[in-house]
Amino acid sequence: MIRSLAACACLVLAMVLQIWRDQGFPRRELDTQKVLYVRSPEVLKRLVLGFDALAADVYWIRAIQHYGGDRLDSGLPRRYELLYPLLDMTTSLDPYFNIAYRFGAIFLSEAYPGGPGRPDQAVAILRKGIAAQPGKWQYYHDIAFVHYFSMRDPVAAATWFRRAAAQPGAPNWLMPVAAAMLTQGSDRTSARFLWQQMLGADQEWLRRRATHALLQLDALDQIDRLQALIGSTPKPPGESYNWFWLVRSGRLLGVPLDPSGTPYELDPVTGRVTVAQRSLLFPLPKPMDPR
Amino acid sequence: MRAVRSIALNVFRESVRDRVPYNLVLFAVLLIGSSYLLAQLTAGQDVKIIKDLGLAATSVFGLFIAIFIGIGLVSKEVERRSIYALLAKPISRPQFIAGKYAGLVLTLAVNVAVMTAAMYAVLGYMTWIETPAFKASWEAPGTDPALLKAMALIFIELMLVTAIALFFSTFSSPILSAALTFGLYVAGSLNADLRNFEQVVDSRAAAWLARGLYHVLPDLSAFDIKTQVVHGLPVPAAYLWSTAAYGAAYIMALLLGTMVIFSKRDFK
Amino acid sequence: MSSAVHIEGLTKDYTVGFWGRRRYRALDRLALSIEPGEVFGFLGPNGAGKTTTLKLLMQLIFPTSGRAEILGRPVGDVAARRRIGYLPENPYFYDYLTAEELLTYFAQLLDVPAADRRRRVSTLLDRVGIGRERRFQLRKFSKGMVQRVGIAQALLNEPEVVFLDEPMSGLDPLGRRDVRALILELRDQGRTVFFSSHILADAEALCSRVAIIAGGRLAAIGRLGELAEFAVGGWELVVANLTPEALERFRPLTTRVTAIGAGRYTLELPLAQAPERLIPEIAATGAMLVSMNPVRETLEDFFVRRVAEAGAAERADTPERHHAGG
Repeated sequence: MIRSLAACACLVLAMVLQIWRDQGFPRRELDTQKVLYVRSPEVLKRLVLGFDALAADVYWIRAIQHYGGDRLDSGLPRRYELLYPLLDMTTSLDPYFNIAYRFGAIFLSEAYPGGPGRPDQAVAILRKGIAAQPGKWQYYHDIAFVHYFSMRDPVAAATWFRRAAAQPGAPNWLMPVAAAMLTQGSDRTSARFLWQQMLGADQEWLRRRATHALLQLDALDQIDRLQALIGSTPKPPGESYNWFWLVRSGRLLGVPLDPSGTPYELDPVTGRVTVAQRSLLFPLPKPMDPR
Repeated sequence: MRAVRSIALNVFRESVRDRVPYNLVLFAVLLIGSSYLLAQLTAGQDVKIIKDLGLAATSVFGLFIAIFIGIGLVSKEVERRSIYALLAKPISRPQFIAGKYAGLVLTLAVNVAVMTAAMYAVLGYMTWIETPAFKASWEAPGTDPALLKAMALIFIELMLVTAIALFFSTFSSPILSAALTFGLYVAGSLNADLRNFEQVVDSRAAAWLARGLYHVLPDLSAFDIKTQVVHGLPVPAAYLWSTAAYGAAYIMALLLGTMVIFSKRDFK
Repeated sequence: MSSAVHIEGLTKDYTVGFWGRRRYRALDRLALSIEPGEVFGFLGPNGAGKTTTLKLLMQLIFPTSGRAEILGRPVGDVAARRRIGYLPENPYFYDYLTAEELLTYFAQLLDVPAADRRRRVSTLLDRVGIGRERRFQLRKFSKGMVQRVGIAQALLNEPEVVFLDEPMSGLDPLGRRDVRALILELRDQGRTVFFSSHILADAEALCSRVAIIAGGRLAAIGRLGELAEFAVGGWELVVANLTPEALERFRPLTTRVTAIGAGRYTLELPLAQAPERLIPEIAATGAMLVSMNPVRETLEDFFVRRVAEAGAAERADTPERHHAGG
């Protein structure tokens, strides 16, 4: 009895000594979270002997914790350097791990300091997903988003949206989005081409949308021509911009109407042509600033 | 046949008294505990992970039982000499082997059945508490009956490993049997490399050898359909049947070989 | 009438040595027959081949040459095994089972009908003296109790021939007496008993015939009474109040003198020295004759002598062979 108590007392003493020593000599934490013991997916696949999906789950949890940990960590410089390797491992172990590709891409493309800001890695991981499951339209869609949001390249985004739309089971709003992207990227020819294809669609709302979009494209073209016209006609000094001196100078036959029949507005100060607010075509799609 | 049944039931009784069923308790604790923790950690993937964990744990626990009881099935009896009194009874040596094998298979069957039920119970609970909108995003239903396909193949794989362990147990010591059985398990799980050897090596002889090994070694990786089932991918019935038949044929070969070796043995 | 057990030319070689090059002959051309109803003793020192013979009869090992039959069927015949019982040496049974469970399990394997099983198990356990302990797991049993269970399991199927390997081992004197009584009971029931032992007293008490085996070879076989050496070999006198002078006078006539203490001595006389002429002379010195017995060579002496002879013969035959102590 005494001996049992003595044994417990010694153990408690050992613990107390450990706490006291740790306080006096804090140990450098080997940052185990940041160590990736096995870097090669092929090796790991063999090591886990058929329990690939479970190992994938473990790496997925590690990926989330790594991302969350670095994101929430207000101290050390955050580099998220293990995020792509962990996601790569996860998806190599389980190529059907849908969420790993999709959320992974979101995390990877998130701009610094919220994330590593690596849209190229996001695209890479999604392409891996496509290699494993070529028919999954969501992966193409996600790549398109990465191009649009992170890389500010709406034309590339449109290409990927079109590819997504071509996959089996793809929803029918992908094509309109592709076309809208092209317009944003100032590639009106391709946009027009896409919208014209949609004029023959089954759904009523799609046909109306296409018609509307085509009119907007026409409006944009007209605005460009009007803008060029204004630029090339010398303005009488002291006057603000208006349509009448253009008409008087013979360049225009009358106040120009937009394709929906509403007159264009000319800003008196800047000389910029826009559609009227009350026009059916308002607002016109704006081109995206490449960054 | 009655002798085989008596021996089988005795093996089952021994495993119960050796407290093998406690592993079921451990399994249940593992699964239930994980399901609670995982919800915090995995961004909505807990059902997938529970399925992965349940199938993997069933496989691993079953593997331990198959190997550690399998290697002792015969060697323990011979070493302790309880086999002397047994073989003096009107049973043939092949009947003895069949009875021992059937007993361990029965133990494994009960184990796998209980684990399957426990896994479905946990999945059922997780499905019940989840919103329908969220459930619509799942690739496969929570209590997906396709999981039974994976469990069935896992069970046949365990039967095959048991037959391997029994085979070695008739002529080697327990430690050696364990090592050899585990070695064959690893080789059988990694045999994809053997199949594709010719793409990696230039030598034709080596490629042929690898191909030969691929066919001779037990093809255990074929029994692993866990990933497909968890992601809701289809598994054709023909695949299931042909793999099961392969398992049955290989098991028969091992059992018959075991009987041959055992029938010729001297018990010193 | 065919014999219960018939052995002809039975030989067993083991290979020893790392590459299995040397051969060790555990049993050399054993031949004997046992008639139904006999209690046959199979005697020999440790390592003589007794257990090897029994294992060959149970087909736990396979002979190098020769053959054996039990109840007219070749050894290994499964149907014949329904009619025999076997107790191995130093038996071990499944220690996680209770005595009752073990016997019930074996009874199932012996195809004892379910209706009879319980009764037979219970009766046998009573007969071998296992009482309440029958509900305990065998791992809690002492060696002697395991031995009793072993005897019980050998009798489950009411066998015609019972093979017992060292049935007395592990038993205290009470237990040994019980087993002796049991063997006699089996004989009275008309069963054949073949038992091996190195305890000669048991053989003397029970056996109708014995075989003596040493070094793998049969050294002698026959009825105890007939083995010729059991004739009188001398005389033993126990004398009291013998004075030292008288002792010295008679000492040359004796083969051996043992002092038992305070004037008492045991005098061993050779056969030729007729004791009836010596006794009056002893009495004349004032000593008292306590007892006089003829000395027969006991089974033990016979045994020791024949074993030594067999050893010598073996060494002469095969100079390079040696025991592996098996």
